[in-house]
Amino acid sequence: MKGLILKDLYNISHNAKSMLFILLFFAVIFLPSSGAQGYTFTCALLCTMMIVTTFSFDEYSNWAPYALIMPVSRENLVAGKYIVLAIFSVIGTLFGLLVGTIGTRIAGAFVSVQEPAALPLGLTAIASLALSTTFGGISIPLTFRFGPEKGRLLVLVSFFIPSIICYAIYRSLLVLGIALTDDLITMFLYCSPILALVWNFVMYRISCSILAGKEF
Amino acid sequence: MTTDTSATGNILEIKNLTKQYPGFLLDSISLSIPKGSIMGLIGENGAGKSTTIKSALGLIRKDSGTITFWGQELSEARQLKEDIGVVFDSINFYETLTPAKTGNVLAASYKQWNSGQYKNYLERFKLPADEEIKTFSKGMKTKLCIAAALSHAPKLLILDEATSGLDPVMRDDILDVFLEFVQDEEHSILMSSHISTDLEKVADYIAFIHKGKLLFCKTKDELRYRYGIMRCRTEEFHNMDKSDILAYRKEDYQWNVLVADKERAKRKYKAAVIDNATIDDILLLYVKGEQIK
Repeated sequence: MKGLILKDLYNISHNAKSMLFILLFFAVIFLPSSGAQGYTFTCALLCTMMIVTTFSFDEYSNWAPYALIMPVSRENLVAGKYIVLAIFSVIGTLFGLLVGTIGTRIAGAFVSVQEPAALPLGLTAIASLALSTTFGGISIPLTFRFGPEKGRLLVLVSFFIPSIICYAIYRSLLVLGIALTDDLITMFLYCSPILALVWNFVMYRISCSILAGKEF
Repeated sequence: MTTDTSATGNILEIKNLTKQYPGFLLDSISLSIPKGSIMGLIGENGAGKSTTIKSALGLIRKDSGTITFWGQELSEARQLKEDIGVVFDSINFYETLTPAKTGNVLAASYKQWNSGQYKNYLERFKLPADEEIKTFSKGMKTKLCIAAALSHAPKLLILDEATSGLDPVMRDDILDVFLEFVQDEEHSILMSSHISTDLEKVADYIAFIHKGKLLFCKTKDELRYRYGIMRCRTEEFHNMDKSDILAYRKEDYQWNVLVADKERAKRKYKAAVIDNATIDDILLLYVKGEQIK
């Protein structure tokens, strides 16, 4: 499986410069208005969305049949994608934290910027990792099922489904008379990595069953 | 990796392999590849060669039949993949990779990967290690695939139209590599190809698949030295013993008839002209000619 991950990292490294440019451009746009928190989340999200690009490379080079003649299983193929997704999310989050923190201090010298407090920033990092992998996690079964071309369009779905689920939970809480306090939201954000793990495990199993039925 | 050889001494055994698609049936294919041999798989486009290979490799699901490598099903013994090298008709690495990076990916994938041997093959094939694959010619890409397939010490090499699209000089170089590979009597090759001259040069056995059925699987020498093309007139053709006719085709002034024993046919049909049959002749008569029902 290490080979599968390495292959994706090599392939995507070709896009690293353009991604770096986009992230820096977003820093200029977002940092003064959203601060480091919003920027970190944006970076994590943008980086995890690159998982669909790795599928495009695979399709272009007809990689899947070759991967399956190597000593890996179809489950390994799926697991490799989820590990790459996690790597992208970590890179995006760390980049966002670093550039966000430095950027807000630099920008603060010129304009009024919301300074990130230590705890919210740490919490933002945890939430960014969880939410970006949740959004990215659903794009993997969609891309396995529909291919990277349609998968790109369906990335939008990967935003909508978790958002709808969160909204449904929010409405349910209101119906049950549970007020959504700051403490509750903070607790939810701290729990978000566990929720993301459960979510991605379900997505992993769905991806495995999709791939099990595929012929190459 | 140590692999047990099946009791029959065959590296690969396919028994009654059946796979159906809408409009196509791969019908109960059975063949086996002995150790130390090269088997050529021939047939027209869409005959079922790639379906056979992909079924063997588990890339498509078979409807029925058994496929064993060294006596074991691949799905039950994934580690056997270490001993199987595969080359498809096109490169499967993204074009921005280099041979060096490709080697790193494969080194992380195969326990048996031999970096020194891979480097030797890159040098032998004159492949620049640090240039992107997109700058390579078709022949260079094929050579890279072959270098990759040979560098994890496989015992069986499976080639699906791997030499198509190469010029004769490059094909000849690659065929020499294949012949070297089977010098060790433990190694075998299954190669599907449209280029019958390649198979005539290297193959020990020829398996001919036509419209999803295995028409024959014979030694190349039997085909070369026993099969013949009988050229005769209409009257002679109609007087022929139908059991002698494998396939026939009528041309403007003569009938071309494929016979399984040309010496016997020479004795039996003295007025007819009987030529040696090349693999192409045999393939053409089966595919474009007719068979006695």
